[in-house]
Amino acid sequence: MSLQTPKELDEIQFGLMDPETYRDLSVTKVITADTYDDDGFPIDMGLMDTRLGVIDPGLECPTCGQHSGSCPGHFGHIELAAPVIHVGFTKLMRRLLRGTCRECSRLLLTEDEKAEFRDRLSEARRLGRDPQDVLKAAIRQARKKDRCPHCGEIQYDIEHEKPTTYYEVQQVLTSEYSQRIAGAMQGNEEEGIDRTTPDELAEKTDIELTRINEILSGSFRPRESQRKAIEKALDIDLTEEDTNKLMPSDIRDWFEAIPDGDIEVLGIDSERSRPEWMILTVLPVPPVTTRPSITLDNGQRSEDDLTHKLVDIIRINQRFMENREAGAPQLIIEDLWELLQYHVTTFMDNEISGTPPARHRSGRPLKTLSQRLKGKEGRFRGSLSGKRVNFSARTVISPDPTLSLNEVGVPDRVATEMTQTMLVTERNIEQAKQYVANGPNAHPGANYVRRPDGRRLKVTEKNCKALAGMSEEAELDEAQTIGPGWEVNRHLIDGDIVIFNRQPSLHRMSIMAHEVVVMPYKTFRLNTVVCPPYNADFDGDEMNMHALQNEEARAEARVLMRVQEQILSPRFGQNIIGAIQDHISGTYLLTKDNPRFNETQALDLLRATRIDELPEPSGIDDEDKPFWTGRDVFSELLPDDMNLEFTGTIGDDVIIEDGQLVEGTIAEDEVGEFGGEIVDAITKQYGNTRSRVFINELSTLAMRAIMHFGFSIGIDDETIPAEAEARIDETIDDAYDRVAELIEAYERGELESLPGRTIDETLEMKIMQTLSRARDNAGNIAEEHFTEDNPAVVMANSGARGSMLNLTQMAGCVGQQAVRGERINRGYEDRTLSHYEPNDLSAGAHGFVESSYTVGLGPREFFFHAMGGREGLVDTAVRTSKSGYLQRRLINALSELETQYDGTVRDTSDTIVQFEFGEDGTSPVQVAYDQDHDVDVEGIASKVLDEEFDSPEEREEFLSGKTVETNLSEHAASRRVASEEVTSDD
Amino acid sequence: MVDVSQHELVPEHTVLEEDILEDVLDEYDIDRTDLPKIKRTDKALPDEAEVGDVIKIVRNSRTTDQAVVYRLVVE
Ligand SMILES: [Mg+2]
Ligand SMILES: [Zn+2]
Ligand SMILES: [Zn+2]
Repeated sequence: MSLQTPKELDEIQFGLMDPETYRDLSVTKVITADTYDDDGFPIDMGLMDTRLGVIDPGLECPTCGQHSGSCPGHFGHIELAAPVIHVGFTKLMRRLLRGTCRECSRLLLTEDEKAEFRDRLSEARRLGRDPQDVLKAAIRQARKKDRCPHCGEIQYDIEHEKPTTYYEVQQVLTSEYSQRIAGAMQGNEEEGIDRTTPDELAEKTDIELTRINEILSGSFRPRESQRKAIEKALDIDLTEEDTNKLMPSDIRDWFEAIPDGDIEVLGIDSERSRPEWMILTVLPVPPVTTRPSITLDNGQRSEDDLTHKLVDIIRINQRFMENREAGAPQLIIEDLWELLQYHVTTFMDNEISGTPPARHRSGRPLKTLSQRLKGKEGRFRGSLSGKRVNFSARTVISPDPTLSLNEVGVPDRVATEMTQTMLVTERNIEQAKQYVANGPNAHPGANYVRRPDGRRLKVTEKNCKALAGMSEEAELDEAQTIGPGWEVNRHLIDGDIVIFNRQPSLHRMSIMAHEVVVMPYKTFRLNTVVCPPYNADFDGDEMNMHALQNEEARAEARVLMRVQEQILSPRFGQNIIGAIQDHISGTYLLTKDNPRFNETQALDLLRATRIDELPEPSGIDDEDKPFWTGRDVFSELLPDDMNLEFTGTIGDDVIIEDGQLVEGTIAEDEVGEFGGEIVDAITKQYGNTRSRVFINELSTLAMRAIMHFGFSIGIDDETIPAEAEARIDETIDDAYDRVAELIEAYERGELESLPGRTIDETLEMKIMQTLSRARDNAGNIAEEHFTEDNPAVVMANSGARGSMLNLTQMAGCVGQQAVRGERINRGYEDRTLSHYEPNDLSAGAHGFVESSYTVGLGPREFFFHAMGGREGLVDTAVRTSKSGYLQRRLINALSELETQYDGTVRDTSDTIVQFEFGEDGTSPVQVAYDQDHDVDVEGIASKVLDEEFDSPEEREEFLSGKTVETNLSEHAASRRVASEEVTSDD
Repeated sequence: MVDVSQHELVPEHTVLEEDILEDVLDEYDIDRTDLPKIKRTDKALPDEAEVGDVIKIVRNSRTTDQAVVYRLVVE
């Protein structure tokens, strides 16, 4: 037994453990189920024996001499009164029972077969295939043998009754054989089977007639060959199953006799894992440290689930021994044996199907060994790869359009709980003192201080003044007052950088750094423009915040992770942050018809921006008052020298000249979240900071604009005149007529099938086409009655929300409902609902909804609509879970790939995956192109140079100077030689 | 039989000369076994390619016109 905890692991071996090893490892045999004596001391050789390790502070471990915390705990053991099966190996045991001889225990394979499987095994190992498959194949082969090829013994079927019972099943002559034979000889008129006379039977079976009569009278039991002959002649079964339960001790004896050479054919290493070790004779008792008892408030001890289970095992074990010694009847012994098996089984796994789980007195199932390891909250996924962190907060989010997109509103109660470490120096001591003086409850306060000697002190209402040196007693005791060298854990204050995250974290924009703005109330506040990257909304979404704890992390977060650094998405190289929803309606209204604003109005629109002086008026109106147009107001937000020209959302040309919007409507494609041209161009040409300013100002301007015009929607906005409704009804009736014609043609057999379609498919397609055209026509009629300023139309045209299809469905006709891309075809036999005639092919009977949402759906329409809707919901639910798992696997597979400084992408063993990142060595974020416009490289270059260098000489010097090598390989110095040749080329 | 190596979508595969290979391996500071692999039976390989050879593949690229990749021929 070694007490030394290994410092370094070379390898881990998995296998079975020899019961002798259990005994060797054990520090004590456990024989009593009692844990503590009356004085509260652990009982010797009990489950809490101190030799098993110490958990109470102050005690010394008698085994290793260490105190609690350093003592790793030590195994004990229980000598089981009778062998029991280990539940973890029941499958393998079943295989071995089926594949080995019941008499001589040898594998039921000939030497040739053994050699073949040995070869297959080494082949599988060499190719990294699963050796388990070879084992399965070998067992399958062995099971085919009726007799042992070595000793000739007949082999029986092994039946496995889960979890831990095995039976040998023999086919033996049934006791009612004479009745069955007689019954079969009667024949059966209905099935046309003739009577059989004993003479005929004797002839058919080649058995003497006297024997047949003896058999029929029941005085002679037919031998096996005779039985088979009779069975064949009469086509009956004369056997019944005789099951013989295999006790664990039998199995152990069986397995003990399996030769080493035979199990090696199955891929089992006989040195490390003898099959008989799957039957436990000794049970290891886990150290106390793995099952610590807790002392409740009332002083009572509460034991761990494992301890409870061990108590059960020991109790039954003892009863078993007592009963056996007293010579109890076999039945009682077997019951106790089964009970012992049950307890040992549930000790290892308490979630076995078919076995009632062992329960606590309260009815709660016990958490035993395998429950500790398994599943999401288990030791592996929950504890070892799970991460729980300090300095984090989680709460509901809500919108705040007054914040910058870089900011996050943090509730004051979060800000006073989470801290930043502040190193006190001569330069910041006054501030530090102020924080400490404010105490832990007032807002910019402090929660802890750390003395130069490393001791941490909690700041309380009582000691805060003294710690800050602001009370009289402090002056007496200078060592208790903060000064240079101390650390102060101060509250979060405005401008601190924190990490903000919303699950599921599917891309890097799911975790971004924000600057803190401390606010009242209980929610995190964020600017609505950061909703798209987080995929957040405010219907109860919660988000997590992490306060950074060292300067390095804070710097990294600020430089790399801040929201403004994430405006461009690496996925498609365009902005993922931009105007959304009402912002887009707002800019659309502001710029579409280029409305005029007077001075007050214009100033009001720009009040939340940096602009505090209006430009020259756009013109003078009839009343001699100056006015500013919407486009001119919008232009105030653009960089002064910006030039851009493209085709906009509504199909007009958007022209920006020298930072002035000359023409065009600003909507989704201009400033929207996924690739809004103007936002994209500003980010790429003027940088992230300018872009952040632009988006912030744009959103506030848009909000002001939409509030200026007023924007609301009601049921009247989707209602059309009765005359229009009549026209729509007419269109739909027309369509119904055409559908009826199609059906008639189909029934007359005159419908011609389309190429590659059956007639039925053709009919369906044509009906669907007709009906969808009807819906479109209804939509067109409805649309005629909507003006350009209809709010739903504004939203659809600007790309803010919704589409013309939505409007069609609201005002015109909802249209065909579909399940699996077809008209609704399910429900009753030959019809969808009992309201229709069977085989009715008409539109209404298969889910065509002719009503509009405004008018409302009829009951049958409603039902069909719910069917289509349900499919949508199920689809999304399935898709998210499927794609989530797909993504998880992809991430795990790719997570170790890293782009090196030489541009190659390599895995952790330095093998090259890509010779140049993405085969072109460029970051999607740094590249800009579209079909129509190349990036003006020359222009950008000269602009940058102009800004950077004042004199033409400096500029020339820079241009002719040696280019800096950015592509140096960290792997090779030889790279430098090669690259010099390249530079000389151009 | 169709010779896929002549298809327009199959990029050019050439066996790399030993001395050029040395430069390549030096540049990336790797052994040839660290290269991505290609099966000898791959139909895109030139006939003379043998196990242990390194193949240079030049692909057309939307962004860089040409992207060069090396692969080790394996069994
Ligand atoms: Mg939500
Ligand atoms: Zn110990
Ligand atoms: Zn045998």
